[in-house]
Amino acid sequence: MHDRSRPPALPNRYPDYDVLAKRNGESWNDKTREVIAERLAVTATPLFFSASEFLLLEAIAARIVPQPSSRPPIPVAALVDRKLHADVADGYRADGMPRHRDAWRRGLRALEAEARAAFQRPFVELSEATQDELLRHAEAGELKAADWGGMRCEDFFKRRLLHDIVLAYYAHPTAWSEIGWGGPASPRGYVRLDVNDRDPWEPAEAEPGREQEAARINRHVR
Amino acid sequence: MSNDTDWLVGAGLALSAIAATAMLQPRPRTSPSPAPARLPPRTGPHPRASVRAARRLNRAAGMLAASVLADSSVEHYRGSFKNKAMVTPLAVSALTLAMSAHGTADRRPWAHRLRDGSYLLAAATGLIGTGFHVYNVTKKVGGFSWQNLFYGAPLGAPMAILLSGLLGFCSERVRDTSRARRPHVFGLPAARTIAAVTAAGLLGTSGEAGLLHFRGAFHNPFMAVPVTLPPLGAALLFNAAARDPDDDATRAHPLTRAWMWLLAAMGFIGIGFHAYGVSRNMGGWRNWSQNILAGPPLPAPPSFTGLALAGLAALGLMREHPDA
Amino acid sequence: MSVEMSDDPQATPRAIEGRAPDVFRPGGWVPMRCHRDEDAVDFVIVGTGAGGGTLACKLAEYGFSVVALDAGPYFRPLEDFASDESEQTKLYWTDDRISDGANPLQLGSNNSGKAVGGSTVHFAMVSLRFRPEWFKSRTLLGYGADWPIDWREMWNYYTEVEQALKISGPITYPWGPKRPRYPYRAHPLNAAARVLAKGCEALGVSWTETPLATLSAPRGLAHPCVYRGFCVAGCSTNAKQSALVTWIPRALAAGAEIRDLAMVGRIEVDDDDLVSGVHYHRGGRWHFQRARNVVVAGYAIETPRLLLNSATDRHRDGLANSSGLVGKNLMTQSNQAVWGLMDDEIRSYKGPPSLAITEHWNYQDKGKDFFGGYAYMSQGPLPQLWANTLAQARGLWGARLVEEMTNYNHVAGLKIVGEMLPQERNRVTLADEVDQYGLRIPRVTYSWCDNDRRLIDHSLAFMTRALEAAGAKDIWTQDDDTCHLNGTARMGDDPRASVVDADCRSWDIPNLWICDGSVFPTVGGVNPSLTIQAIACRTADRIRAMARRGELTGQRATGTRTAAHATSASS
Repeated sequence: MHDRSRPPALPNRYPDYDVLAKRNGESWNDKTREVIAERLAVTATPLFFSASEFLLLEAIAARIVPQPSSRPPIPVAALVDRKLHADVADGYRADGMPRHRDAWRRGLRALEAEARAAFQRPFVELSEATQDELLRHAEAGELKAADWGGMRCEDFFKRRLLHDIVLAYYAHPTAWSEIGWGGPASPRGYVRLDVNDRDPWEPAEAEPGREQEAARINRHVR
Repeated sequence: MSNDTDWLVGAGLALSAIAATAMLQPRPRTSPSPAPARLPPRTGPHPRASVRAARRLNRAAGMLAASVLADSSVEHYRGSFKNKAMVTPLAVSALTLAMSAHGTADRRPWAHRLRDGSYLLAAATGLIGTGFHVYNVTKKVGGFSWQNLFYGAPLGAPMAILLSGLLGFCSERVRDTSRARRPHVFGLPAARTIAAVTAAGLLGTSGEAGLLHFRGAFHNPFMAVPVTLPPLGAALLFNAAARDPDDDATRAHPLTRAWMWLLAAMGFIGIGFHAYGVSRNMGGWRNWSQNILAGPPLPAPPSFTGLALAGLAALGLMREHPDA
Repeated sequence: MSVEMSDDPQATPRAIEGRAPDVFRPGGWVPMRCHRDEDAVDFVIVGTGAGGGTLACKLAEYGFSVVALDAGPYFRPLEDFASDESEQTKLYWTDDRISDGANPLQLGSNNSGKAVGGSTVHFAMVSLRFRPEWFKSRTLLGYGADWPIDWREMWNYYTEVEQALKISGPITYPWGPKRPRYPYRAHPLNAAARVLAKGCEALGVSWTETPLATLSAPRGLAHPCVYRGFCVAGCSTNAKQSALVTWIPRALAAGAEIRDLAMVGRIEVDDDDLVSGVHYHRGGRWHFQRARNVVVAGYAIETPRLLLNSATDRHRDGLANSSGLVGKNLMTQSNQAVWGLMDDEIRSYKGPPSLAITEHWNYQDKGKDFFGGYAYMSQGPLPQLWANTLAQARGLWGARLVEEMTNYNHVAGLKIVGEMLPQERNRVTLADEVDQYGLRIPRVTYSWCDNDRRLIDHSLAFMTRALEAAGAKDIWTQDDDTCHLNGTARMGDDPRASVVDADCRSWDIPNLWICDGSVFPTVGGVNPSLTIQAIACRTADRIRAMARRGELTGQRATGTRTAAHATSASS
């Protein structure tokens, strides 16, 4: 089993690329600008969760999508909170699962109860490794506290917790820059589609040792 | 990568635009052209007429070179100049353009060694370029398929610089033989040879337009124009080339001449249609950085103008030299 | 433009007061003929997707009065669609549903739509014909059920739909009987498609450009594709030939009325056992639209749900359900994938996601240990979808996930659309819980059979070899995904073994019709949208023919009343 507790070793594959530099160019339409502006304005204060639930969610999110300290963090927990506040649903739930809002509340309560039962401390005070251990137990369907009710912990972990947190992280432009994605694309799409082709408005990937070259190009991506 | 080559494209486009305009400037008034009816019948050489024809051919070669310069600038920019050799057609067509401008202005009745050399270089570039493009198409997965013919390196495109070189080279031969009994190219009658080469060029260019307009599903009925008018023009030119040289009555070819003017105009009107095509794509001209490349190619239609000008030069020579 | 920009299509209906949104012009409108609830129209159609949108157009062009209702909003893609996966989930049907069984389905995204135009607004545009034998798979191939329609007849309707959508496809199609040339040429292949092609060539099977319902050249006011890659999040350029920008504008021009944000909750049956109209929720209250005929076109979950929710004392098991088959024989299509990393940059986010396809295993029966077939296509997941795939199907989270995501531009994948067999135990029933309209929500039960599993195993093994041959590394398989939904109101020749006849007319109630993917007796190994639309075109022709012979029940006025109108509108 790989060690989830270590911080991510993120290679700087797209140095100096910032997808937001394209924001006022032809790749973004007004609707996209509006939607992303709203997302970037999200602050780390909960509208749906209680303060204690939100702290717990922040701790969990930091384990699911650990972030480097070298840049401002993506407010993952707040993005999940806004989705629930807006009541955006998936379109299905497993048998025994409550609807998304109730599932989150119940799931967080249950995880907290499991932390206190197994380690006699709140989840947020556990070490990262211990937090991961607890989450792995949830993933494996091994948690049986009464707080789970009829909801299976593995369903909660996979279909709610993991799903919502991962989607929140990759809804953020910072994550898009990190993976070298071209970002929003309308009205301007792409011209060069073939193997190893890159449009001037896409990020250049750095070959090892030639980061400066890629950075120079990426600073001009608009 | 492509960001570094923006200037190259800009320069190529600017140069070709200026050149295309210059190529279409009316000839200097100092060279009055007598009406054919008043030409005295002659059996010997008429240097001035040959030089005039040669200069017209220089102009035609230049027009084609301008089209190639602009087209290869845009297309090879789209190809991100991945292969260093992709700058070759830009350099060679720019040189050909300069030499053609020089030739268009030059009234001396003998060939120019530098022009000759550059025209041969252009022809060679066209041949080698065709090889490159064939290689590009066949090495792609799917090989020689519609997909790769549509979207791979266009097989017909390097032929334009080959034609430019050939016409320029013919121009020098016409000029060089202006003091001989009759203008010729490698022993063949010059006017009729050039007419035939031009006709072949028209067919090839029309074929390429046909391929690409087929790719566009002929969604606009005007897209049929460049696949119908040029082949008719080619037929007329072939016919002119095959006519009995001793039959004075048939040497004027008024219909063929009119058709060549039509094709020359078509080439320019085509730019307008292609500009409209660019505006029809998502984002229109505001999204130029995509649509110039993805929309119909603006520099392509003037190839027809260049060939039509060559056809006119050949017809002019034919009219003045019964056995050319 | 600025005046209309503020309206929220998800909050208030747009198609009202004699006009409907013009999808081709920001803020624009087109005139729309409107009907009063109390005036019985010839046809009320529930749903405006591939089935309902197509049928609304064809019936209106044939001169019938038509009102088509959709629970979703009426978007103008040019101004309403963002280049953003999260925002565009507004195209999905995300109402509450319960999914259970041994292999519970994932619903809500790639297999549902809640918008005028239905899920064609966000479908992947893959427009394939059935293999001819599939229409008689029981007789010719020994599995599933026979369709009551001959493949040659379908071949003509496929052609009609391909023309109507200006499908872009290859010059010659490598499989099956000869088909007419696609109206538009194939799109350029992206790198992901080249990977598929390389794999196929290495294994010696044919491949081709995928026939797609997105423009490769301009068409009317629609722009050609700009290869932005957001196809399954909604096309903001109108290149995608969805029902929203093809059939529905035609329907409006021919006099049909479209009602957006109109959720149908119950079909009314009168004492003569004929349907008389539908109850629908719009603008905060319930209405009743009278109609001489009702067509249900809500797709494989909402269609049986509506029929079951319309139960009365005389029709205790729901409408059209004397066979007991309403909701049964639900078929999804397997959607398993093989993923790997290439040394080259692939950047599969560019262009439509599935530009290349092989239907080899749809047409080749030798070497199979299963019934049915599958196609597989190249893939182009956007970041959220890809991250979720790595998390859900590969189990990555923590540092491993964020690290793996930085390989995004090198990922190539192959994904099947595989045939699953009809089983009565796979079904849609009603749960006890209710939704925001007070209607009982559907419970969707699904379990694979052995044959489904064998097909999936075969495909994963083959695609793994193909991806290896194309040079991919770190190959892994995703075996949890599901896509299109069909069945649940199958057509057939026998009233005891089917819900509707070949004309999509219910056996039990002669003026109740079902026209969408639910009528499929089998699904085949291809995306169903083209077949749904072809069925709708055929149904319209059959209805017109029956009307001319006076065979439509429900005191329908003959088509002659509006025949002149139809001629002018359809020209």
